[in-house]
Amino acid sequence: METDALIQKLTDDARPVRPLARPWLRALLWLAISAPPVFLVVWWHGLQGKAGMAATADLRMTIEWLAILATAITAAIAAFSSSVPGASRRWLWVPLVPLAIWLLTVGQGCVEDYQAMGAAAFALRPDSECYVPTVLAGIIPIAAILTMLRRGAPLVPRTTLALAGLAVAAVVNLAMLLFHVGDISFMVLIWHVGVVAVFAGLAGWAGPRLLAWRNAPLAA
Amino acid sequence: MTNTDGIGARLRDLMVAAQAGDRTAYSSVLSEIAPIVRRLVRRRFGFLSGEDIEDALQEVLLSVHNARATYDGARPFLPWLMALAHNRSVDAVRRIARRSGREVAVAEYPETFDPADTNPEDDTYGDPEALRAAVAELPKGQRVAIEMLKFREMSLKEAAGASGMSIAALKVAAHRATKALRVALTGRDDRGN
Repeated sequence: METDALIQKLTDDARPVRPLARPWLRALLWLAISAPPVFLVVWWHGLQGKAGMAATADLRMTIEWLAILATAITAAIAAFSSSVPGASRRWLWVPLVPLAIWLLTVGQGCVEDYQAMGAAAFALRPDSECYVPTVLAGIIPIAAILTMLRRGAPLVPRTTLALAGLAVAAVVNLAMLLFHVGDISFMVLIWHVGVVAVFAGLAGWAGPRLLAWRNAPLAA
Repeated sequence: MTNTDGIGARLRDLMVAAQAGDRTAYSSVLSEIAPIVRRLVRRRFGFLSGEDIEDALQEVLLSVHNARATYDGARPFLPWLMALAHNRSVDAVRRIARRSGREVAVAEYPETFDPADTNPEDDTYGDPEALRAAVAELPKGQRVAIEMLKFREMSLKEAAGASGMSIAALKVAAHRATKALRVALTGRDDRGN
């Protein structure tokens, strides 16, 4: 096809489009959509029985909670930002800061648990009661962020979806942690942080499949 | 204001109008960015042929079209375009390279048979009048088969539907008609007798 003919075709096809909102606004919108169902699912599954809401008064827990919240928000902003051509790439590194703080607080928790409990602080058991609520809680945030990201330009799909995976996993973790503070830090490190890493990695791997350009190559 | 600033500001205004549904503005955007992107692709991938440069350009234009909602009118237009063009032209060039790797350029396709055998001097269309007369002499079934399968190039299924004959009967009738026509037109059968 001649380029002039393509321009004519694209012009004929041009319907009005609503420009996307700024990445930080879209991230907040995503959080507003995602957080209530996540918390509802976790609460519905009866994990509130272990509740440690009061324990959030503990400084380390508060910092951990805030760090996870910041990880979720910054990772979502970075994911949306990465799908806007010409947007600053500096945003892609920002989630590393709250993520590092989160890891540090969990690491500090491991040390404190070891000092208090000895080797028992590193006992690892499967936390099967968390599996179902975790998966259910993740459905709406995943669907919402994927739908929103597909409106953007998949310039770096692996990075975009890895960041989106980090954001989703952080939100789910936030809810789980709220009702699960009784766990030793090593359990949190393996089951919570570990799952975040695996989920973000899987999301990144699936990036090019889930966020492909929708225009088929002309001369395939 | 530099020239680039002027072009950027103009394209920004046009793109904002295009996002609102102004097709004339959109046509201007695409027409004006095409030479910019073409230059960019040519500069970055000097080894590409003219056709491949157009291929990459078209891929960028398609992506501009699909990603036009990501443009924020409060931001400069050219960095948006350049980021998109860099990203998509690299993808296009990768695809072109893969495609080229599967193709072998040849000036002339080699002949698979001896030209003397495949181009006999007496291989002419013959006399159409004589052919028509010979076909008219055929029994009805053979005539129908030849007319539908050879002259009108219908498939066996189509010819069977149109003639009411079975596919097997059509095949037999066409075979017999061909033999009869060969004898009628050349005086020889397929064994050369």
